[in-house]
Amino acid sequence: MALLKTSETEIASQAASAPGCAVSVRNLTKAFGTRKAVDRVSFDLPQGAFLSVFGPNGAGKTTLLRTLAKLTRPTEGSVFIDGIDALDEPDIAREHMGLISHNAMLYPDLTAEENLLFYARLYGVRDPEKRVIELLDAVGLKHRRLDLVRTFSRGMTQRVAIARALINDPSVVLLDEPYSGLDPHAMDVFDQLIESVRADRTFIMVSHDLEKGLSLCSHVLVMAKGRVVAFAPREELDAEEFRALYRSTVGMGVA
Amino acid sequence: MAKEKKLSAEPARSATCERPSTFAQFKTLLVKDLKQEFRTKDMVVSMGIYAVLVIVVYGVALSFAKPGAEFLEVSGGLLWALVVFTSLLGLNRSFSHESENGCMEGLLLAPLDRGAVFLAKMFSNLVFLLLVEVIAVPLFWLFFSSYATPADTAWLMVVPLLVGSIGIAGIGTLLSTITTRTRGKDVLLALLFVPVVFPLLYACVSATTAVLVGGDVVAETLRISLVLAAGYDVIMILASWILYEFVVSA
Repeated sequence: MALLKTSETEIASQAASAPGCAVSVRNLTKAFGTRKAVDRVSFDLPQGAFLSVFGPNGAGKTTLLRTLAKLTRPTEGSVFIDGIDALDEPDIAREHMGLISHNAMLYPDLTAEENLLFYARLYGVRDPEKRVIELLDAVGLKHRRLDLVRTFSRGMTQRVAIARALINDPSVVLLDEPYSGLDPHAMDVFDQLIESVRADRTFIMVSHDLEKGLSLCSHVLVMAKGRVVAFAPREELDAEEFRALYRSTVGMGVA
Repeated sequence: MAKEKKLSAEPARSATCERPSTFAQFKTLLVKDLKQEFRTKDMVVSMGIYAVLVIVVYGVALSFAKPGAEFLEVSGGLLWALVVFTSLLGLNRSFSHESENGCMEGLLLAPLDRGAVFLAKMFSNLVFLLLVEVIAVPLFWLFFSSYATPADTAWLMVVPLLVGSIGIAGIGTLLSTITTRTRGKDVLLALLFVPVVFPLLYACVSATTAVLVGGDVVAETLRISLVLAAGYDVIMILASWILYEFVVSA
């Protein structure tokens, strides 16, 4: 496959994290019974990169993200976050990661401030009150900090979710269908927020929105039936060739 | 919003983390659970109403029974049936806040000891169960005081109630974590919970009945029953604590 920048076997044969890589994935496999949702996925992502992961429903994108986030144990393979072996040192790896998904992961009956303080204390953020106010200010919700999350619109909830994901100042941010349920205006606000926090951070985003994903990314990964079909830096990508590949991949249907 | 008002700049990346102790994380989780419950009162109110309704049904069911000492021999069992079914109702709801908005995933993303999540949830469940018992148990005796007079040792029933409630909260928390993401979780929790909690239930009913009936065998029965119940608590809570990491990340 022309779009595979580095062959899977080449990456998989490397034992550990490649130097200077924020995320290194080696031969990652997650099986549910006999079905492999993620099948020997390998890639390296430099610091500050933005990877967009595309693929049809059931391709294994979300399972890949959940495995990277250590929400589920891989059947095989390894993940390095900032050079840390996420399987050997899961808690240290977790300190370097944040996840924004279509689920806000916020308690509706707590205020925005209480939610963020709760997570800040779990991570052991120094001076949590100051950090929470800074983040709420950054997402434009400082004036609503004492309101229950239940009273927020979907767009506002997603902005608090961004603040939650950044509470521990992560170097790697995972985005799982973050635009799900957002109206165009809220999507614009979300894009601006991501842009404002992008410096020095590495992003991995799972999305069905091809144009949105391509506009944000520095690297592209396409999955089908749990496997990597294509992985390449954005600038080396021929847009037409990629669209054709994407259409044919989506046409492969559910894995 | 953003179009009208320019978003402020990203805060400086100065927020460094210092891993809190497991106890500090446990305290954070417990305070969150208590704050949330005392704000919504979802669990305590539904458990309280259910307990009162069961007592009313007991009252109707026993309204034709003749008052007598025999009543004391079944009252311990009736009281524990009330406690078990009330706690089942609460346990089914104990992870409802975590299920909403994917909050459980938010917890699991944090670098925290999964055992702290278990212990905090177990303690909050225990607090809510004891709160309901504080109301329901006196009410139970108020309803049935005309049927029989318990022995002087009746006040000792707080011991099996406390030991039993600890075990129920412990094993119930583990089982409700397992069933919370399943279909038909209400039935599944009951199906798993009642057989697993049976030894504890047996010991607690025996101890409660002994202190209510009184007599020469109270001390010995109470001792054996409480040793069995406390042993069950220790083993099951330790096992649940150890297994919790596996259960939440399976």
